[in-house]
Amino acid sequence: MTIGADAPGTGAPTGVAGDLADLLRRVAARDRAAFAALYKQTSAKLYGVVVRILPRGDAAAEALQEAYVRIWEKAGDFDAAKGSPLAWMATIARNRALDEVRRVRPAFLEDLCEGFEPAADEVDPLASRERSEALAALLDCLKTLDDEKRGILLLAYYRGLSREALAKRFGRPVPTIKTWLHRSLAQLRDCLAT
Amino acid sequence: MTLAPDDDFAAAEYALGTLAPGERAMLAARRQREPELDAAIRAWEARLSPLAETAPAIEPPSDYLAAIEARIRAHAPAAPADAVALELRRRVSRWRAAAIAATSLAAMLAIGFIVRETTRAKVPHEYVAILQKDAGSPAFAVTVDLDSRSLTVRPVAAPTQSGKSYELWLIDAQVGAPRSLGVISAGAVTRAANLSGFDRGVVENATYAVTVEPLGGSPSGQPSGPPVFVGKLIPVGP
Repeated sequence: MTIGADAPGTGAPTGVAGDLADLLRRVAARDRAAFAALYKQTSAKLYGVVVRILPRGDAAAEALQEAYVRIWEKAGDFDAAKGSPLAWMATIARNRALDEVRRVRPAFLEDLCEGFEPAADEVDPLASRERSEALAALLDCLKTLDDEKRGILLLAYYRGLSREALAKRFGRPVPTIKTWLHRSLAQLRDCLAT
Repeated sequence: MTLAPDDDFAAAEYALGTLAPGERAMLAARRQREPELDAAIRAWEARLSPLAETAPAIEPPSDYLAAIEARIRAHAPAAPADAVALELRRRVSRWRAAAIAATSLAAMLAIGFIVRETTRAKVPHEYVAILQKDAGSPAFAVTVDLDSRSLTVRPVAAPTQSGKSYELWLIDAQVGAPRSLGVISAGAVTRAANLSGFDRGVVENATYAVTVEPLGGSPSGQPSGPPVFVGKLIPVGP
């Protein structure tokens, strides 16, 4: 159910992002019904972020649930000028997942490397479909990286892999991975600033 | 920007998630006291966050929302000087499994279990009842000192009622009809010493219930409707 949040004359955001921003405002005012509605609209996306990094079950449950507790506590911090509500929430979920993955056996990360074929499993971010302006800008900047370096960056982001896991995956030494990451990130930063 | 390039790359890798666990922990500590580092991490998170839009939508298990709401209630900050309710909340929040969102009985037993774990085996004289309408939504905490028969009611998360009063009742088969313990406030602590007419065993085993009554309490001396919050005493002290 989408409620068209058209607010003529106020310059308020419309569409889904406007709905989420409004729900976050109400959550900041301790509106429990708004929080439940926010959860229903966003939990599948946030869970999708989490299970790319953690196995399903206790670890994913812990990360997702703690993420929403943090969203409840910090809803007042959301600043619409700095990004979309979903991106803000997904970052919180991703950070909780990254914290959680450090507690999981390192062996899991090895299994993860072996088990997944990104081409088959991942939603291809470069495939054309509806996307926000921010995502379009970021994807354009990512295209300026060569395939291997872009692949390393995206795998790091989507999977939360460490330098060691990336090194193993791509067959490169760890210091190389670190250098490449820094160069790619610097390139991204400069591209996005233009 | 006054941040060293190395720190900016560390911030970027922190946001990306590629730092080794020790490095990550160190940066997590540093960002608490270094605002530029904290700002750099946030800036990198903002640069990368659109990628989260590409996540596939996967429905989480259906019981997660209830578990989240239970965690939120366990985390909620207490009213000042609300020592007993705060201590119970701390104990509950340490025990963060999904079981707390299960049944009211399980929640009360679990609270009792945590409490008994940490109290030495002495004869308790202080008891607490969490009055709630369902698992994980405590409204009032009733503390009873069995020696002095004094009763203290602390609001935990009770919605305020305008034009109506909450009234506390003691319900026990031995005394027959519900006995009023007086009108209680949703905004402040209520103290009373009106348990002195009851046997210790009755006080210990009774069910404590809150109903919504006309302002000033029930005109009939009996509850006007069904209880909205219910609980039983669990030993917590000494």
